[in-house]
Amino acid sequence: MEFLDHFGAVFTWSSMLILCAGTVGGLLLGATPGLSPTMAVALLIPFTFHMDPAQGLMLLGAAYTSTVAGGAVSAILLNIPGAPANIATALDGNMMARMGAGARALQICFISSAIGGVIGILVLIFLTPVLAAWALKFGPSHLFWVAILGVTIIATLDSKSVVKGLLAGCIGLWIAMIGADTIQGVERFIFTEELEGGINIIAALIGLFAIPQVIEMLEGGRSDPRRSVFEVRRANVWRSALETVSKLKALAIGGIVGTVIGLIPGAGGQIAGLVAYDQSRRFSKVREKYGTGESEGVVAAESANNAMVGPSLVPLLTLSVPGSPTAAVLLGGLLIHGIFPGPDLFQQHAAVAYAFINSMLIGQILMLVFGLAIAGVSAMVIRVKPPILASAILVLAVFGSYSVQHSMADVAIMLALGVGMYFLAQYGFSPAPLVLGIILGPIAEYNYVQGRILGEAQDGIAAYFLTGWLNLLLIGLVALSLGFSLYTEIRARTDTGEAAA
Amino acid sequence: MTGEPVPETATAGRLQQAVAAAIVLVAACWIAFVSFDVEDPQPYLFPQLFSGVMVVLALIVVVRALRGVDRTVAGIGGRTFRNIAPGLAVMLFYVFGLAEWLGFYSAAFLAMLVLYSLYDPSPHRSVRSWAVRLAVTAGFIAVIYAVFAQGLKVHTPDGALF
Repeated sequence: MEFLDHFGAVFTWSSMLILCAGTVGGLLLGATPGLSPTMAVALLIPFTFHMDPAQGLMLLGAAYTSTVAGGAVSAILLNIPGAPANIATALDGNMMARMGAGARALQICFISSAIGGVIGILVLIFLTPVLAAWALKFGPSHLFWVAILGVTIIATLDSKSVVKGLLAGCIGLWIAMIGADTIQGVERFIFTEELEGGINIIAALIGLFAIPQVIEMLEGGRSDPRRSVFEVRRANVWRSALETVSKLKALAIGGIVGTVIGLIPGAGGQIAGLVAYDQSRRFSKVREKYGTGESEGVVAAESANNAMVGPSLVPLLTLSVPGSPTAAVLLGGLLIHGIFPGPDLFQQHAAVAYAFINSMLIGQILMLVFGLAIAGVSAMVIRVKPPILASAILVLAVFGSYSVQHSMADVAIMLALGVGMYFLAQYGFSPAPLVLGIILGPIAEYNYVQGRILGEAQDGIAAYFLTGWLNLLLIGLVALSLGFSLYTEIRARTDTGEAAA
Repeated sequence: MTGEPVPETATAGRLQQAVAAAIVLVAACWIAFVSFDVEDPQPYLFPQLFSGVMVVLALIVVVRALRGVDRTVAGIGGRTFRNIAPGLAVMLFYVFGLAEWLGFYSAAFLAMLVLYSLYDPSPHRSVRSWAVRLAVTAGFIAVIYAVFAQGLKVHTPDGALF
């Protein structure tokens, strides 16, 4: 129960102010179509430089939690999920809005999100120190394979093509190698003096996640994407709360499914919401009403996608393997504050780690309060025109990347990576594995070189990396993730081919 | 730049896919060449490891592009490119020319106003449209100034203006 000792850091005026700002900002950003939680968190990282590490992470954690919940606003009122995690929410939530129950749908969504979120954070609180203690036994070879596993899992799960996902991961590894190497300080892959210091990770994150979305918003030219937004009429909060709690089975299914899927690195909230929705329908007495505006569907989907948030941070905080693209960006946020997540996080930075986790628990309650309070305002945010959003994000990205090191080179790198990523994305490449390659590259390299030195001194390099039950388990997991994804891709291609024929 | 909405993009042609894949392959080969063509291999041990994998993966992507296997790739259509080109030009001019020459805040104001106006569906001849654009842009830049210059104390290049 060590986490109880660290609640004091959360209940200070400055921390609570930061949490409130992160929550409200996250809800509004999440509600805005076209702004993903990953991009929102990436854009917020520069604002944390001047904060102490714990408060900086509180801001990012609150924004992460609330952007996922805020994404439900556009899913319900526009039928456009604010984030992939909200796809399942749109199925019944939008039907409720069409029937004039938009406010009730939003209230049920925020209440079930908070309940699911609390379940997930409790799992994070109790499971993380246990796993971290176990992970302390990891040596360089294990940490090398863990880094490879991280890149592989995101590459296979976040891409339509396994090969392109892995290739994007390799491109990320290469970008991470630009600049001085971590062991000898020898400069590598430098073809212009601006790259001598390497690629700044925050500039890269902002560029890779924000700029492609800016360009996507411009794809429609001057067309006016007239959206039919459903009006939000007043609804009784207590009645919505009672209705949510009465859907106990859907809440339980959402909580369990979200937690389990969140623990699997790379699986993400999109899968959690859809799987929970499907399972809840399967066990429901009103399964025929799903898809027609049944609030039980909203409860299952929203409790699952927020229950996923906490557990998705377990592999990040214990093994440095992010559970989702947004967790990968959070990893970048941890690194710029000099905090290296991993087995010894709870020994070297226990105060920061527990303050961060505890703040996410409080963040769930704030998300519920502010979500219910500003549901109407967030409905206005979704009417903002894409050109305003695009130009505002561009300016914010430029200022954010500049403020990291006060360097125009970072701004240029941010834009170059962003424009490059937009074009790569048009050909099936995803930014998440690329980002993970950039983040995990130095970890993989450091442990690879250390492992080679240890291996040469013992039974040989191959024996050091390829024997031992933990090495074999991690290699097996890499192979399993690759094999399963290849099987799924080939099967999908066969099905598409048959359908076309 | 057209005013019509871009329809759902179809699968990109084999040639377009192959050209994109070939560019990635050339980059992968260059990384592998630089990693292996060194006097002291120690700093390049890890790049050697993944650059080999990268070349193999890029080759697979090229072969699959030539065979037209990948049907999930949208590619970039002519209309999409024409729509994004002015925006890209504004972004590049803003970052690589205007920001340091004119000053960070002035450049941000100009870039935002031009980008917003270029893609705003409201009529260009309407005075009200321009008033809204100017007000939104000025308001946003004022917030940015308050946050970065006053709040975070970020010193930005002054340039000719500020």
